[in-house]
Amino acid sequence: MTRLCTVACLAPLAAILWAQQFKFNLDRLAAKASNNVDVSVSGSTLKFAARFLDNSDPDEAKVKKLIGGLDGIYVKSFEFKTEHAWTEADLESIRTQLHTPEWERMLGYKSSEDGETDEIYVRTENKKISGVAIIACEAKSVTVVNIAGVIDLDSLAELGGHFGVPKLEKTPGHKAP
Amino acid sequence: MDWLDRELGQALNRKNPSPDFAERVRWSLHVQKHQPAHGLQWWLATAAAFVSVAGAGGIGYRQHQGEVARQQVMQAFRIAGASLNHIQTQVREVRR
Repeated sequence: MTRLCTVACLAPLAAILWAQQFKFNLDRLAAKASNNVDVSVSGSTLKFAARFLDNSDPDEAKVKKLIGGLDGIYVKSFEFKTEHAWTEADLESIRTQLHTPEWERMLGYKSSEDGETDEIYVRTENKKISGVAIIACEAKSVTVVNIAGVIDLDSLAELGGHFGVPKLEKTPGHKAP
Repeated sequence: MDWLDRELGQALNRKNPSPDFAERVRWSLHVQKHQPAHGLQWWLATAAAFVSVAGAGGIGYRQHQGEVARQQVMQAFRIAGASLNHIQTQVREVRR
């Protein structure tokens, strides 16, 4: 009985933690890729790393400010030997993981010429953006970024001017398909 | 007072040491050299040195972990930034 109560109490907590530290399952793409980059930085590691970021370096100082409200950043990038080794089905398997009420597609781009596909999703909780997911697919590469945590678009836009990234403009959102 | 003179004379009379006197002195010195107190000091010094080395090693390892974490964070933001940059460029071209 005590065990049942413990499980019952921990289940919602686990669900909350899972939601905050949600990582994409990209095994299908990983199996096809010739090169993988997998950077998973949890909230505790972010806090730990913040102590070692150099304030005198403009990029690091900016990142230090940005990671203050984050619970994690998860990046997976795949490179393929041949063009379009990834398929629409691979992308759909990623999109399926974003088919929850919290996630909303903010931006979608698809090139009819080379099939390049880019999508940006935002996760909202209590009308506050609590996560951003980026899917960037080029002919020979797919990059998926999941930034988890309480962030607003202004903080994200602070990336503008750093690493050569222009400012991200807010655009009207569309519901994820 | 003859008895007193006699007693004093006997007490102060020169006596030769026993044959094993020198050996006993040497043994006494040897025991003093290897007193347990010296052993304890040696162990304390060794323990202190060990703790110092372990502490320095721990600090060094933590510094290394921090550096690895810093590089991971920067790499993650660089990739995220590059992806955003690319998407932004594509969207701008479409809007033109």
